[in-house]
Amino acid sequence: MNSIDWVILFTTLILIVAYGTWKSRGSRNIDGYLLGNKSLPWWNVCLSIMATQASAITFLSTPGQAYEDGMRFLQFYFGLPLAMVILSITAVPLYHRLKVYTAYEYLESRFDLKTRSLAAFFFLMLRGLSVGITIYAPSLILSTMLDWNINITTIFIGSLVMIYTVSGGTKAVSMTQKYQLTIIMGGMIIAGWTAFSKLPDNITFTEAFQVAGEMGKLNLINLSFDLSDRYNIWSGLIGGLFLFLSYFGADQSQVGRYLGGSSIGQSRLGLIFNGLLKIPMQFVILYIGILVFVFYQFNQAPVFHNQSMKDKAMQTEYAGDIAALESEYDKVFIEKKKEAENLVGAIRADNPTLIQQSRESIERIQGEEKVIRGQVKDKIAAAIPGANTLDKDYVFITFVMTYLPHGLIGLLLAVVFSAAMASTASELNALASTTAVDIYKRSIAPNANDYHYVKASKWFTAGWAIFGMMFASIANQAENLIQFVNIIGSLFYGTILGIFLSAFYLKYIKSNAVFFAAIIAEAVILYCYFFTDMAFLLYNIIGCLVVVVLAYVIQFIENQGIKKASQ
Amino acid sequence: ERWSSWYWLVMIVLAIQIIIYLFITTSF
Repeated sequence: MNSIDWVILFTTLILIVAYGTWKSRGSRNIDGYLLGNKSLPWWNVCLSIMATQASAITFLSTPGQAYEDGMRFLQFYFGLPLAMVILSITAVPLYHRLKVYTAYEYLESRFDLKTRSLAAFFFLMLRGLSVGITIYAPSLILSTMLDWNINITTIFIGSLVMIYTVSGGTKAVSMTQKYQLTIIMGGMIIAGWTAFSKLPDNITFTEAFQVAGEMGKLNLINLSFDLSDRYNIWSGLIGGLFLFLSYFGADQSQVGRYLGGSSIGQSRLGLIFNGLLKIPMQFVILYIGILVFVFYQFNQAPVFHNQSMKDKAMQTEYAGDIAALESEYDKVFIEKKKEAENLVGAIRADNPTLIQQSRESIERIQGEEKVIRGQVKDKIAAAIPGANTLDKDYVFITFVMTYLPHGLIGLLLAVVFSAAMASTASELNALASTTAVDIYKRSIAPNANDYHYVKASKWFTAGWAIFGMMFASIANQAENLIQFVNIIGSLFYGTILGIFLSAFYLKYIKSNAVFFAAIIAEAVILYCYFFTDMAFLLYNIIGCLVVVVLAYVIQFIENQGIKKASQ
Repeated sequence: ERWSSWYWLVMIVLAIQIIIYLFITTSF
């Protein structure tokens, strides 16, 4: 980082915050503050939805994931377009016609207050905890790369978001997201282009693609049916459908985005374009990781991508061991580079025998590299007790900091900060809306005036932001807490989806049946979590099905009881 | 107060993408 990078980084962030605060000033009624006066055109709805879903970790981890195990992660998103179609048909017109502020408000008109409060409580619990991690996860990586204190990084991101979300509400969130996503995608494409342009002079785009394919990185589709493994087409289509129905249909962080659409049509179009663009966008981000991988076939990759952690380990008695392993790694690389050049030659000659020979050699060398990297990780873990030696989240950002020209480094860091801010802003805004509308206005202070609720919503936004920052600093002390929060969505999403699907499609089911079915389903899911090792993707499906089936049974029994009593 | 063609478009684009990705997986 030099002064140009710092200027670009801070100018970008300050301009976005100032723009969001200025453009959304003067919301004095609750419609303006929580729904942005329903003024968003479809393209802004779409950009907001995409910016909310893609957190900073998406842009840091996804290229690293492709670098390590190829593009198979893409399959996880195959259920998303189907969910967009289903929600466009059902949820969007329902929410718009009932003029709700939150998804949970609809549940009271369809069922009753206790079902609405239960769903709102589940949401506040899972999103309240995960907003802390949305801030913490990128802070950890950024603080390592910039050599900042982790708590200062957390407070920096949290405070920037707090300024415009508290002052401008939903309008500020969606106004800033369209620019944040533009910066994010622009920066990512520039980074990918840089990786490609730094390949040896004569390698074409197609050849880079073929090299990646020969190295097994273009494993886009796996047809085997196994719902406990998230990386096959069926898990993506079935498990992904349930997950994304719940996330986009029943999680206020997303529902709040399309409730701001200016009409049913505009909200629908926003969802439809998300369904059209999401998979190609993930393809591009994953492919950037592949380009970095191909780049490192011809250029020396770091033996361990978290440079700062390796430097710390080099201050200990293990320094000699690590240095020896590193020079061994360098030797292996020279051999690999030669084979990679042979592979390109074989591809050009279109000689299948030579291609296979080169590929087998490279696979053997990669095996050696993997062993050395494993040994280095063991040494670092021994040198720094309790260190997390997973370094795939650092692959992309280390590449950026090492190989991108000054100016672009600042831009790419602005990308990571912007992505963290965009998704945090939606989450804080949704937490505040749900607290204000479903709890405070409904059950605590039902008869206050409009301006009072705007003020209360501002306080709730600030309160959740401070809670998120405090939770992030606790998370820094507890690795297993982070893992728990990362799966907490899976624990509640299935049940919430079951409640909403019963509401949308099963007129037969009434409030008592769905309420008790949801509580039993949640107990079943928690039992599975504590006492079985079932795949998390299955929780969404099981939770949802248990709610629907049980609610049906309870309703049937209740109806029989009423019939008997009336005879 | 034609949506269905938009819904079909989403499904067809998804299907085309899956076919392209399947082709890439098997031929590279």
